[in-house]
Amino acid sequence: MNMGTKIKKILLEYLVLVFIVILVIVTAIAEPKFMTSANLNNILRQFGPLSFVALGMTFVIIGGYIDLSVVGIMSLVTVVTVSLIDVTGQVVALIAGIVMGAAMGLFNGLLLLAGGANTQAKALFITYGMSMLYGAAALIFTAGGTLHMSWLTTPQTVFAAIGSGNIGFISVSFVVFLVCLIVLHTFLSATHQGMAIRIAGGNKMAGELSGVPVNRSLVLIYMLSGLMAAIGAIVLFSRTTMANPAAGKGYELNAILAVVLGGTSLKGGYGNVLRTVLGVLLVTLMANCLDLLSVTTYYQTVFKGSILVMAIWLDNRNKQQGGE
Amino acid sequence: MDNIKTRGQKIIKAIIKQKAVVAVLVLLILMIFPDTNFYSSYNLINVFRSISVLEIIGFGVTLTIIAGGVDLSVGGMVSLSGILVIKLMDYMPMVYAILCGMLVGAIIGVINGFLTVHQKTEPFIITLGIGMLLKGVSLVLSNAHPISCANPVFVEISNGLLFNSVPYLVIYMLVLLAATHFVLRYTKFGRNCYAIGGDYNVAAYSGINVVSTKWMTFVISGVLAALAGILLASSMNTGSPNYGDSIPLLVCCGVVVGGVSFSGGVGGAFQSFFGLLVLQLLSNCMNMIGIGAYVQHAIQGIVIVAIIWMDCFADKRKREAV
Repeated sequence: MNMGTKIKKILLEYLVLVFIVILVIVTAIAEPKFMTSANLNNILRQFGPLSFVALGMTFVIIGGYIDLSVVGIMSLVTVVTVSLIDVTGQVVALIAGIVMGAAMGLFNGLLLLAGGANTQAKALFITYGMSMLYGAAALIFTAGGTLHMSWLTTPQTVFAAIGSGNIGFISVSFVVFLVCLIVLHTFLSATHQGMAIRIAGGNKMAGELSGVPVNRSLVLIYMLSGLMAAIGAIVLFSRTTMANPAAGKGYELNAILAVVLGGTSLKGGYGNVLRTVLGVLLVTLMANCLDLLSVTTYYQTVFKGSILVMAIWLDNRNKQQGGE
Repeated sequence: MDNIKTRGQKIIKAIIKQKAVVAVLVLLILMIFPDTNFYSSYNLINVFRSISVLEIIGFGVTLTIIAGGVDLSVGGMVSLSGILVIKLMDYMPMVYAILCGMLVGAIIGVINGFLTVHQKTEPFIITLGIGMLLKGVSLVLSNAHPISCANPVFVEISNGLLFNSVPYLVIYMLVLLAATHFVLRYTKFGRNCYAIGGDYNVAAYSGINVVSTKWMTFVISGVLAALAGILLASSMNTGSPNYGDSIPLLVCCGVVVGGVSFSGGVGGAFQSFFGLLVLQLLSNCMNMIGIGAYVQHAIQGIVIVAIIWMDCFADKRKREAV
């Protein structure tokens, strides 16, 4: 292998980093406000909800499946948690919300396992249907209205801290994110179960024949995805201080976009959570930079769509060349 | 094992296979009891009118699914083509504008085909991305506002009545249903689609030009989605970037409900027709009885999950039996 192909390979492998660097340089030159500490702090906050959802989605995609139900899970967790605060107090509500997310994810996983859904497409449609169901439950729960946290009578210091508190100069939600990141990264790369998830994603049949707990991995990845979606929902409504029954809308595609941009393969079996962080960073930075450069949201949708298509295409080309 | 199958098992098997038709019949029978206007000719024509656009999209998607792919970019295509045609009518005669709209559909189909067939990417995720892109383009074109059309002839394309009762939209749908059925059953192209969906490699080894045939299914799907978008814009007299939001997944679910298998190689135009009809009839019945919109969403979700789950489960049993 000569020097040229080596550099090309490294560039393709870390294409997302190249994108990020270019984006930062261009925006910093065009718009000096970009490099102010206020804006950087803003980016860290926008980083919040999506990063959690994307971390969960990473596990599902590495496991060879896909999860569209995060939309419904986020919406339902949001409205139920906020209305529980007055009934049970904030700490119990927080825990109940997280447990509920995990339970909904668990249910998805068990459903897929019982149905023997062995392809991404089947998982896509079943989780889409479940998302409709969860989302409708959220809408029925609030009768379509939005709950404001200022209406509540009990104190909500915990949520206020998650939403806008700082530890030193770093926001609390970012600290929570770092903890989740470290735990999930260790889980995926250093435990037997993490290895099992990757093997099951790479080749299910081979995994099953060599005694890897394929079925347990399937249930586990969906549970993790539900759990992380719930945490994402809590971070989101703590920041906006209102519970919208359609809170999760758009998060599923953005999460998939972030995971794929990071370089985790949609074919399953390959990738890690650190790459996803880069993907989320690119998605957030892109939105922030385009906002600063006063590009309308409509053009932003076009940008996002074309980058998603390009990323999947390049990822695919990369994998095919690697396989030869 | 097959020889000792009793008549009862055979009937159950037939019901499971034709579950969409059975569901339609059950709904029709159930609706006799409550006192509603369900059985008025106005309502029945209305059911067909509201299903026509989804059906037309569904025929194209059916082709792609039978050939082992799937096209989820149809939602964006529906939004885009309606807006595009209404915009273009300011600059050229209506017929050319409509042809341009369908040409764009064909081009998107070619791109989808290039990415999925030629470059071998996962069809459903890449077409989802293309759909997002198309929605973005239609947002830019329309500035996120619904745009209406000033030309009175354009409205007549969908809303004109045959024999003073049946809208043209329904007629187009029935013609396309017959055409899709004919293409799938009686042409070489149709049979090749089944072969490719059944086993891509075997089809390639038996001398079928797999790439161009599968590519063609995406082009047809793009054109039909564009046509459906134009007809939808005509029947509403408005083009909106939000028309297509829930279309792609809903259409796919309806098609699978009808008995078209996601593994490819199984299905047909009539199966898709009945599958989509079930979903529409269900929502019409729920409207008639007076069930709220949110509960309808929930019931629709449950129906989709239940039916696709059954499809998966049957597939699993088949795999285990081998």
